[in-house]
Amino acid sequence: MTSSAPLLSARLSVDYRNKPGVLRNIVVEIHRGEIVGLVGESGSGKSTLALALLQLLQLKGAKVQGEVIFQDEDLLHKSESQLRAMRGRQMSVVLQSPLTSLNPALRVGTQLKEAWRAHVKGTKEECLSAIRTALNSVSLPDDDEFLRRRPSQLSVGQGQRVIIAMAILHRPALLIADEATSALDTITQSEILSLFARLNRDLDMAILYISHDLLSVAALCHRVAILRDGEIVECDSPDVIFDAPRHPYTQRLIAALPGACFGKTLSRPLEILS
Amino acid sequence: MTRRRLRVICAAVLCAIFGVGLFASTVSPYSYARQFRERPNAAPSASHLLGTDSLGRDLFARLVYGTRVSLLLAPAAALLATLIAGVFGGLAGLVGGWCEKLVLAAADLSMALPLLFVLLALRAVLPLDISPILSVIATFVLLGLLGWPSSLRVVWATTRNLRNSDFLLLARATGCGRWRMIVRHVFPNLRPVLFAQFWISIPLFVLTEATLSMLGLGVMEPLPSWGNLLRGLEDISAVSANLWRLAPLILLVLVVICFQLILPAQEETA
Repeated sequence: MTSSAPLLSARLSVDYRNKPGVLRNIVVEIHRGEIVGLVGESGSGKSTLALALLQLLQLKGAKVQGEVIFQDEDLLHKSESQLRAMRGRQMSVVLQSPLTSLNPALRVGTQLKEAWRAHVKGTKEECLSAIRTALNSVSLPDDDEFLRRRPSQLSVGQGQRVIIAMAILHRPALLIADEATSALDTITQSEILSLFARLNRDLDMAILYISHDLLSVAALCHRVAILRDGEIVECDSPDVIFDAPRHPYTQRLIAALPGACFGKTLSRPLEILS
Repeated sequence: MTRRRLRVICAAVLCAIFGVGLFASTVSPYSYARQFRERPNAAPSASHLLGTDSLGRDLFARLVYGTRVSLLLAPAAALLATLIAGVFGGLAGLVGGWCEKLVLAAADLSMALPLLFVLLALRAVLPLDISPILSVIATFVLLGLLGWPSSLRVVWATTRNLRNSDFLLLARATGCGRWRMIVRHVFPNLRPVLFAQFWISIPLFVLTEATLSMLGLGVMEPLPSWGNLLRGLEDISAVSANLWRLAPLILLVLVVICFQLILPAQEETA
């Protein structure tokens, strides 16, 4: 699963103009094929980190300092056109709400086509074939009727799958799932988690799984980082995090979980999804 | 009557009036400038459906040709105003920063000045003895060039919301380029707003042209427009003798009402 050179190695601080120190000297390392969970309460800086890794924070007027080494290149020193060529192709993101993340004015097929055309100038048939493959990967119908649907005609689960299909269209090396299951009901959430596990297994795709839901993190991730007030306070395997948390904040997080859920059930979390 | 049926009726009325204006030369038996000197202020008859004016010109012919001028050029002016609002409002909303401040300051300044007085002042700067065709072009270009600020505010507010939307963030995150994002992601969401602004500008410009022409600063004689036809209403005795002289006024009111009613209500578009 892991190799010596990490796929992504980031050490960064983020300041907003009116809110300095949103992230303070955060260190994140993700290896190929690894699923890393990032847990923290609302406002701790999880989404900020996701956007900072994609170099999309500058648009919000934030100042990012440090380094983001992705596939041996520092993204902080890349031009916007180089970053554009990387986004979606080598590093993708899945946002929290499918209802707001899909363009309401465009049909599903058009949105997927746009995501494909952003990087490939192929024929219509090649585009359609790639879209159908991606839709099959996320267990969605690939017929014309589905491609003609508008986001308002999709269920929340289907919408989230469409976004995941967009994100994996170019088989990126790293997928950032930013609260990707928070807006979903329990059954759909479990289906999406299984889908992430399958994508990780089948495509050897590394995943940064950002969530405030410890149970889903425990079920999916190889390593878990705990983020609090812009700092990572602890990072270890789920076994250590859940069975022997060291930091007081992590201990409080674990203690806040319903006790019945824990114990042996989560000591080998990935088995749940296999 | 349901709102939908009302809209269909309004659309049919507008189409009929547009059709008459478009095919004015076929509908009207006479030219708008042809004078029947022996029949000034004639009452309605089989040969002159609405009678004639004080110069003996057929009022029906003038109304039909006036419809062409008012109803074809008002949309052109509305298109120009909406284009300006769309380009600059969209730019301000998307780019933000000093560009946004500059554009909004220009819009606020324009909105602070009363449109009609600015139009009067600018029109007065132009010579009064220009050809009728030039007067038409000047009137509607001025309307288009001055009628954008309120539309710009609406377009700017919509674009600003779009700029902060998750789907644009996702489009960026998928590697979508700037122009492609504007054309393929922003514009489809702006289209209904632009159309609504275009649509509500048309009756506004029809009315403004009518006001300018009534004051003698719009479309110049002998070219007819609803505005300069309304000038005929100044002669009360002629109006009381021939109530059909009110036809331009009735048509103007009817068209403005139809334009307003045809737009879907906000709750229907939501």
